[in-house]
Amino acid sequence: MKRLLWKSSLRHLQRHPLQLALAILGVALGVAVVVGIDVANGSALRAFELSTDTIAGRATHQIVGLDGVIPEGLYRQLRIELGLRRSAPVVEGHARLLIPESPTFSVMGVDPFAEAEFRDFTSSGAQGSLNLGMFLTEPGASLLSHETATNLEIEPGDEFEIDVGGAVRTLKLVGHLRPSGEAQQTAIRDLIVVDIATAQESLGLVGSLTRIEVIRPPGMTEAELEERITAILPATAALQSRRARASTAEQMTRAFRLNLQALSLLALLCGAFLIYNTMTFAVVQRRPLLAILRVLGTTRREVFLLILGEAVLIGAIGTLLGELAGLWLGRSLIGRVTQTINDLYFVVDVREVAVAPWTLLKGGLLGLTATVAAAIAPSIEATNTEPREALVRSELESRIHRVVPALSVLGFVLLACGTGLILLPSNALWLAFAGLFAVLVGYALLTPIATMVLMRWLTPVAGAVSGQLGRIATRGVVTALSRTGIAIAALMMALSVTVGVDLMVRSFRGTVNRWLEYALPADLYLSVFTAPTRRFSPGGVTIDPATIDTIADLDAVSAINLLRHFSTVVDNESVRAVALQLSPESHGAFAFRQGDPTAIWRRIEAGEAVMVSESFAYRRALEEGDSVRILSANEVFELPIAGIFYDYSTEQGLLMLDRSLYQRGWSDDGATALSIHTAAGTNLDELSDLIRGRLPPDLRVRLSSNRQLRQESMRIFDRTFVITGVLRTLAVLVAFVGVLSALLALQLERTRELGVMRACGLTPGQLWMLVTQQTGLMGLTAGVLSLPVGVSMAAIMVYTINRRSFGWSLALDLFPLTLVQAVAVGVVAALLAGLYPAWRMARTRPSAALREE
Amino acid sequence: MRWPVVWNSFLRHLLVLTVLSFVGCRTPPDDQLTDENRPVATASLELSQLLSGEAEGFRQATEPRQFLFPEDHGPHPDFRTEWWYLTGNLTSSSGRRIGYQFTLFRNALATEETPRPSQWATRQVYMGHLAVTDVDNKRFFAFERFARGAAGLAGVELEPFRAWLEDWELSSGDSSPPFQLQASAGEIALDLVLVPTKPSVLQGEAGLSRKGSEPGNASYYYAFTRLATSGLIHLDGRDIEVQGSSWLDREWSTSALEPNQSGWDWFALQLDDGTDAMVYQIRRDDGSPDPVSSGSRIGVDGARSALSWSDFQLEVLDWWTSPETGVRYPSGWRLRIPGDQLDLQIEPLVRDQELRLSVLYWEGAVQVEGTRGSTPISGRGYVELTGYAVP
Repeated sequence: MKRLLWKSSLRHLQRHPLQLALAILGVALGVAVVVGIDVANGSALRAFELSTDTIAGRATHQIVGLDGVIPEGLYRQLRIELGLRRSAPVVEGHARLLIPESPTFSVMGVDPFAEAEFRDFTSSGAQGSLNLGMFLTEPGASLLSHETATNLEIEPGDEFEIDVGGAVRTLKLVGHLRPSGEAQQTAIRDLIVVDIATAQESLGLVGSLTRIEVIRPPGMTEAELEERITAILPATAALQSRRARASTAEQMTRAFRLNLQALSLLALLCGAFLIYNTMTFAVVQRRPLLAILRVLGTTRREVFLLILGEAVLIGAIGTLLGELAGLWLGRSLIGRVTQTINDLYFVVDVREVAVAPWTLLKGGLLGLTATVAAAIAPSIEATNTEPREALVRSELESRIHRVVPALSVLGFVLLACGTGLILLPSNALWLAFAGLFAVLVGYALLTPIATMVLMRWLTPVAGAVSGQLGRIATRGVVTALSRTGIAIAALMMALSVTVGVDLMVRSFRGTVNRWLEYALPADLYLSVFTAPTRRFSPGGVTIDPATIDTIADLDAVSAINLLRHFSTVVDNESVRAVALQLSPESHGAFAFRQGDPTAIWRRIEAGEAVMVSESFAYRRALEEGDSVRILSANEVFELPIAGIFYDYSTEQGLLMLDRSLYQRGWSDDGATALSIHTAAGTNLDELSDLIRGRLPPDLRVRLSSNRQLRQESMRIFDRTFVITGVLRTLAVLVAFVGVLSALLALQLERTRELGVMRACGLTPGQLWMLVTQQTGLMGLTAGVLSLPVGVSMAAIMVYTINRRSFGWSLALDLFPLTLVQAVAVGVVAALLAGLYPAWRMARTRPSAALREE
Repeated sequence: MRWPVVWNSFLRHLLVLTVLSFVGCRTPPDDQLTDENRPVATASLELSQLLSGEAEGFRQATEPRQFLFPEDHGPHPDFRTEWWYLTGNLTSSSGRRIGYQFTLFRNALATEETPRPSQWATRQVYMGHLAVTDVDNKRFFAFERFARGAAGLAGVELEPFRAWLEDWELSSGDSSPPFQLQASAGEIALDLVLVPTKPSVLQGEAGLSRKGSEPGNASYYYAFTRLATSGLIHLDGRDIEVQGSSWLDREWSTSALEPNQSGWDWFALQLDDGTDAMVYQIRRDDGSPDPVSSGSRIGVDGARSALSWSDFQLEVLDWWTSPETGVRYPSGWRLRIPGDQLDLQIEPLVRDQELRLSVLYWEGAVQVEGTRGSTPISGRGYVELTGYAVP
């Protein structure tokens, strides 16, 4: 009996190969997206860990400066006065070679005498031996991995130039780094090791270290060590354990990765709908068969297991394929993810795809769980039906109709719950996502009733347009709700994801664009940093006041603004800050959340207040009027926040203060960027050349017009969202597959019904019309329903998720085109999906169609 | 003459052996690491392998010079190598005998001091060796440290005099003796006060000590051959009050052993009649002594008289093979200085006083017994043996 059962199942699947294939494809796509995103995220993080591991070596703790640097004397104190001899000073920064497409190198300055216990790459010189004398005494002496040196065609003894945040420095290769293992091979590829003195000089960090690494001596507890070190630390330095540091990268990118993961889950959600859809059809189509089996003595349990077994089989195959596709997808997404991480967070170069076993396990579990969960309802349905009822189709439909109110209530409950979750006064991102998912599922449950209502409204319209056939079409959608409802829901989900994501990205883009319009009022922008991170290494290169004066003296320059980017410590946290000296016409670059700009500027320029960016305030729960405590080099400033301005350049947040205050606190006259207003009619290219001519020769700057800068900003913005676009496309693909399979099944199942119609005189052309109208109506329904869902989703993402992730407030723009597009895509997808069934129906002779039973 | 580490070319070789930077050495699991007793290098160097290297660009010891004190207690950065070398034999109040060695080596890695903005930039590198011999328990402890002569990590300063490598420090209240030595490593700590009981002496020809026939293969060399020493030694978790006598050698030079010289045996002896003797014998590759070997003796009043090679005879009475390194060292001698009617037997207090550090050599406390004429005489001292690890 069991064998018979399985055979019947197998035969059924064999007879519907396309349906089977589509179901598998649906699962596979869903799983692939989840796995792919996970692989890309994981690889980026793993690469970061690997490079920090190699670079951090065996340190158990490190002392870092909250403003990026620590005074070098701290090392002597630590090593000699505290006797912590297992310690090593490090001066580190980023640099690029002066070649096109240079990767970003980490320049790491070490004290060879303190290194032994920390890192174990070995080194060698030209004749197999490294000349330590050269390494220590020659300014610029450096080590590169053999592989890198060979690729760059730098021989020991050769000099090469690097760009360190705008300054050109000459280094000289004196030997090679040799990896001690394969993992290290990758990590040392983009590493330049120099003596600590060379690092200080090249990176502009004379007098400072970027960190001190410490290995806890045996016999000293962690608490003891921390107590002893903390006792001598200045306020601007902090002690971190290795564990804490590893999680920094993770925390920094958490919001970004969570967003990607949530998007990948949306794709899986669509996939789950697809599976549900397929399995439901598999059951519905076989109701008579199942009924006969039941009559023949098959137990409910057996039927239940049969259907579930089929689902698991489909799920397993789909999952497996999905995992493979996911690995491939992950590999191709890595570049995108890494680019974004580099644009927004820190420099990481991913050369290897890291696949954590957990990733595959997670993908597998998700795929199978989604399949089984989606198949449970159809299995129960198949089991609970009395054999007699099962043979009557109308019974099923009327039952579905009886369930609709309950489904709708459940849908409303979920909607309410989801909204509640989102409105909870919390900053937890996962709550927002949970709410989002609840809202989406809630909407999906409301699809049947919405469909019924819509069809009731459309019936007269359709009747008016194409007569009886039109009415048959609309009513057909309602009467076959058990199938159409799911297909519409699946398509609706997919469309709403595109609407939601598209609106979110466009709103985001629009907000940033409007911000750039006023944030860049000057004509020409000059900055010393060309580093890919847009982050400032502490110390760093600056433009000296004399140079600035020579630029300001140019005739074409009507006003000049000075900016000095730096890192500092605010309320015991490391903060990126800018000291400003603005001409009044540049005040417009800042839009304040509230308050009178004139008054705000007066207080800031008087040095009695600071201003912070919106994300800065959001992250620290600060309001206008609150005070911040800034540790400057010379004194501690306790200053109120005069204004909170909109800024979309960094999610970490910015603090800005007047340059006079900066000069007082840090005794530094330099600037890292200038923005220049020009006299009317100035040729910017000519002016750029003039300015370049007045700069010191070893200073590398970026000079851009505001238009170029705006374009560049938008380019980076778009680059950031490319991956979102990819995911959106995948979601649509999943949905399309879903609709295709649903309509296919639906229409094929109607073979007999259509046969009857054909026998009653319906021409093949009219049949085409009928099928097309019906699928078109379904597509239209899905498209229309996707609008409120998509807009809700966009609103949740714009107002809640983005805010919680990045602290930015964005304005939601409802792009009509996006909305129209969604409806159009729905209709077209449905029409396309209806083509094959219509073509097949039309070709089938009525007699054959009727005989099929 | 002290050539324990002529590390002129030594540091250059250190990196070859991956000693310093990015050491690929077998690091024992964390827990077994005790501060600095861990071997820094995988392979120890044999000194005499290193005694070659270009002297070009450095100043050389070619002719006698005028010594100036206290300035000459300080560094002579234009010479490649320099050291502050202390050894001593001490006794606790309960009669326990303890020997110690503390050495600070300076090495210039480049001939020119380029002015650079970074405080870490330097051409001077310091190496410290600290060894303690627990005679009664036949134990020997040796430690090693390196640091650049910059950023306050190591260096030698005058006014007040201070020669330090991290927390190892030989210092003085002003720029002249008495000195204070403070150093600790692992479970060992020294805190000693050293008061010269004789004036310093210039060794060799008025301070120019020749090592080879080539001019310039020489060093400038002066010594305090007897410093009354008292203080505390921390050992086995206890502070032991000690008293005794130390010997400080100061030497700076640039050039190295000649190609046919393989090593040397060096003796610093303090006899209980108040006289001191120093002799060294440079060995050639074939094992025969080089006639440039020489010595001196210092009278009770501090008066020095030179000994040439023909003025003394050194005879090896016994040998000892290191179980750790397999290197065979002489381990017991008969030294005769006929002119002084001295006939002395020299015995290591502990056989194994081999410093198995980046540089492999034997430096140990010895007991001296013998006769001056027919009068029995005894004494204490330190012996240094190098060049034995070369096959």
